[in-house]
Amino acid sequence: MMIKTTLQGGLIYLTMVFFIATLVASALRQRMLIKGFWAAGFLTAVSAVLWRGIHTGHPPMQNLFEFFLCMAAFLWPLSRLSSWKNGIDTTVKDAVLGLCILFPAGFVFGEEVRRLPPALQSSLFVPHVASYVAGYIMLARAALMALPMLKKGCPPAEMRSAEAASRQTVVVGFLLITIGLVLGSLWGKICWGHYWQWDPKEMWSLATWMVYAGYFHLRLKTGMRQPRLLAVFLWIGLLFVVLTLTWINLSHLFSGMHNYA
Amino acid sequence: MKNYFHQATGLGMAVYICCILSAASIALAFVGAEKAGEIMATPPALGLSALLALLLILRGGFTLFNRRYYSAMMHLGCACVVVGWLTGQTAPYLDQGDKGPLKGSIAMVDGDVMNALWEGAYLTNYVGKLPFSVKLDKFIIDYYASSSVDQSAGRMPPIKEYRSRVTITEPGKEPYTKNIVVNQPAYVCGYHIYQMSWGQSQNWQGQPVTYTVLQFIRDPGLHLVYFGFGTLFVGILLFSVRLFKVRSPAPAPLPEVKS
Repeated sequence: MMIKTTLQGGLIYLTMVFFIATLVASALRQRMLIKGFWAAGFLTAVSAVLWRGIHTGHPPMQNLFEFFLCMAAFLWPLSRLSSWKNGIDTTVKDAVLGLCILFPAGFVFGEEVRRLPPALQSSLFVPHVASYVAGYIMLARAALMALPMLKKGCPPAEMRSAEAASRQTVVVGFLLITIGLVLGSLWGKICWGHYWQWDPKEMWSLATWMVYAGYFHLRLKTGMRQPRLLAVFLWIGLLFVVLTLTWINLSHLFSGMHNYA
Repeated sequence: MKNYFHQATGLGMAVYICCILSAASIALAFVGAEKAGEIMATPPALGLSALLALLLILRGGFTLFNRRYYSAMMHLGCACVVVGWLTGQTAPYLDQGDKGPLKGSIAMVDGDVMNALWEGAYLTNYVGKLPFSVKLDKFIIDYYASSSVDQSAGRMPPIKEYRSRVTITEPGKEPYTKNIVVNQPAYVCGYHIYQMSWGQSQNWQGQPVTYTVLQFIRDPGLHLVYFGFGTLFVGILLFSVRLFKVRSPAPAPLPEVKS
């Protein structure tokens, strides 16, 4: 636990303040304020990423600190996309998610600058990591959208719209983590000599991918008859994503070739 | 017969298989990369992978027959990746032995000419001969510009790049030069050549020398794996586009859902 006194830290804390303000405005039902604070949070989150890029001189995706900064900057556009495509308002859930993402970036991870080692100097670096950033965000949002499906006695209309929204969100996330996995595999061949190294992080990513593959097969098999089971699959997937980002990155139990964070 | 086919490759079975594969991946994550690779190279693991590929091909073929192309591409793409991997794994048993070893490394200092591959922690086990020879012209290390932090800590800045300039001589061809850098392997006669690592040691006269380690890998299944990746990706793209064509349901019609 530490507080950052740099410009970088200031931008992160300002973003968090805007996210909290969004939640407060939402509790007070001030629609204009919600929109304003939520958009302002996006602007500060983007400035935090840009400043990090300028300050370090490389794309800000090298370690967990930079990865989490990028995730927070992806939230607002994705939230707008859902409201446009699915007609549901996910601002509150996304603001909570944003706070959960920024908390470790603001208070846990260090911000010291490391220059890129030779292994990370590749044109596949940004696409590989960026598709995982966006993909994980989409998967987390899908799990949050599926929350009503876990409720007992949820009205069928709400159930249907939650199911449709979470499924359309998860398919984008699934597409993105597939891109991340395939690009990672190609990069592995170019950098390490083989497209699959049985590295612990690779195995956890494959396990996550399999959970969502199972979700789609289950949806096709049972349709809307077992909405709770579908939601449980989404939450197991989210659990794996969270574990991949935290435990697997930081524990020595899973040390391997992905240890840049 | 038809029933058995649909039970073995149907959606219910697919859910189970996905869950089992997910659990197996996590189990392999716990044993570590090296051990996991060894486990997956054993005959039972290869056999189970072949079974998985068979199921994927059956299902992919069935959906292709039914003109559900997105599903066929996803399943056949996965099958190509598994079969491509199996091709690489089983190559030592199926090869006639005239194409050279699959994997090995060479440690060299400037001026060395070599064509034998080695393996092991100290590169002491001979694995075979390359169909071409490699001469190391020069090994070069570049550092980042020294920053104020580096200077106050009194240390060298981190390494920016290391590369080996080599001259390749294929039988019956003019020799040519290649640069081998991390993230930029060279491709010669079916082999990818990687800049693996480097180190410092002493030669037989006791003088310090810097050596480079180059790794040579030949994978006969690689193209099939890449083809599988492409097919899988296009399949998932078609699948997600299809999902988005389904409009968000209006709240109106309720029944038709039976529990």
